[in-house]
Amino acid sequence: MSTVGKINFEIISSLERLERRGKKVADATLLNPNNAVALYDGEWLTLNSSDQLVRATDVTSVGAEPGNNAFLLFPNIGERGRTDTQAINMLPIVMMGDYEADSRIFDGTAAVAGGAAITAVGQPLKLATITLGSRNFTGLVGSVYNETDCKWVGYVTRLPANNASKLRFLAGWRR
Amino acid sequence: MSSAASAQLFNDNFMGKFAEADGKQKMAEYGGTYIRDRLRELSFLGQIMPPTNVTKADCQRSVNHDTLVKILDVEPQSKAMVATFRDQAKVRILRGPRVECAFHTIMSEKFQKYEEELLAYEMPLTKIVEENSVKDMQEIIDLIFITHGEAAVQALQTEANGGSVTSLSASTLQGGTPPAEFSVRKGELARAASTDDATVRPLQKPDIVNLRKMLNRNRLKARQVLMTESEFDDVHQWTLEDIGDRIAGETTTDGYKYNQLVGLEYRRTIKTDILREGNVYVFTAPEYLGRYYVLNAPKFYIDKIANLIMFQSWMNVGMVIANVAAVRKMELYSGDATTLDASGILASVSPVAEDSLGAVNNRVDSGVRFPAINGLF
Repeated sequence: MSTVGKINFEIISSLERLERRGKKVADATLLNPNNAVALYDGEWLTLNSSDQLVRATDVTSVGAEPGNNAFLLFPNIGERGRTDTQAINMLPIVMMGDYEADSRIFDGTAAVAGGAAITAVGQPLKLATITLGSRNFTGLVGSVYNETDCKWVGYVTRLPANNASKLRFLAGWRR
Repeated sequence: MSSAASAQLFNDNFMGKFAEADGKQKMAEYGGTYIRDRLRELSFLGQIMPPTNVTKADCQRSVNHDTLVKILDVEPQSKAMVATFRDQAKVRILRGPRVECAFHTIMSEKFQKYEEELLAYEMPLTKIVEENSVKDMQEIIDLIFITHGEAAVQALQTEANGGSVTSLSASTLQGGTPPAEFSVRKGELARAASTDDATVRPLQKPDIVNLRKMLNRNRLKARQVLMTESEFDDVHQWTLEDIGDRIAGETTTDGYKYNQLVGLEYRRTIKTDILREGNVYVFTAPEYLGRYYVLNAPKFYIDKIANLIMFQSWMNVGMVIANVAAVRKMELYSGDATTLDASGILASVSPVAEDSLGAVNNRVDSGVRFPAINGLF
């Protein structure tokens, strides 16, 4: 089981190739670090019809997956409580570009819908609401090669057991 | 040498600079004969709260992330009391509140251009963009400030109305239980309107007086008023009764040219997409209001990779309205501008979205110019 830390998402490939953007958050209260469901780095977001960031899944429902039309899925790369995000109600996301990253926001044992526990390098990853500690997050869970009706966001490149309890993955979608 | 040739020389030299050892540096302006699209204005926040330069030594760090804040002290509360000879004073364990001013970045777009295409310009393209970028960033600073100012007045307005957001419109004011106008007030013509809409009524002298009262009655002193040029133009319609025959005569020929209006320093802006017409804000002196800090002044980055030129500018600032009671607002339209948007006008009286700022005036790309000469060159 992963544990949440101060830094939960670390990109380990070159940043210059990425298109990083700051987007307004639909619910500014999620940037308050004292909020029981505050947004953490490593959680995943999508855009609403007003071009504002919302969580990619329903954080109140464990196992919830992104909606049918939520194709744009982005990782939050701003740590909880950052004052620059709170000052302007914006979060930095990786909008375009492939990268490799370590994340603590994952559930390695959950098998959500047609998915499977995270057990193999190369395994595809999708998003779901997971529980870490005493609260829920929108994080990574395992999928299987032939799972349909889901949205892959990356592939395992190093398992937590070999990576200081962090899941390493390669972002992007390939079939 | 003609201006067009000078600009062409500028563009040619611009590329040549990259070949020099210290090539990536700013260049002198050559001027130009290009058509300008719109006026760009310096920040009005800088007039309301003059910026203070700070360094990282003035800021505080966090153990949880790599951002900076500057912590400001707010004066502690105190009071006096009457007493008999044998009385003793009530005790107050002194405590002064503190507020954080967080810093963030303002940046221009990242401009890119192939050097071959730069040859097609007679105007000093890169210099123009460099200068405009600084003013574009200042527009964003004003946008952020107006957003914070609006949040401050609405917070107090909500508090004054029992903790609930309450519609403030002509109809609610004329109704049986009108809402309290604590930090937001309707103009005299707006409050008497028969419909709730976004029509901007003219600014009248009693409106300025009422704005002053909103601060002056709360142990604060109104010092400066922010309005659009359009609202300021209404001053030229004030009559003899408002301004006397001497000033009325002067404004008829020269316009209103004094530094104060009804005892307030006024700040005017043409940025009507940020400060929408119909919204007039009054502020105290900066020391009662908040702070505006510049952590890093505008920096300019330029690079050339093969034949692709890139340039960008950015700055780091922080601002805080620490005393939300130090700002008040007058609305010259009768409709409701709270988040309830009961009159459906909120979008037309609120600042436009950041992406929509600086809408282009000219229609050249659409082929609208006169006379229109057709044909491809």
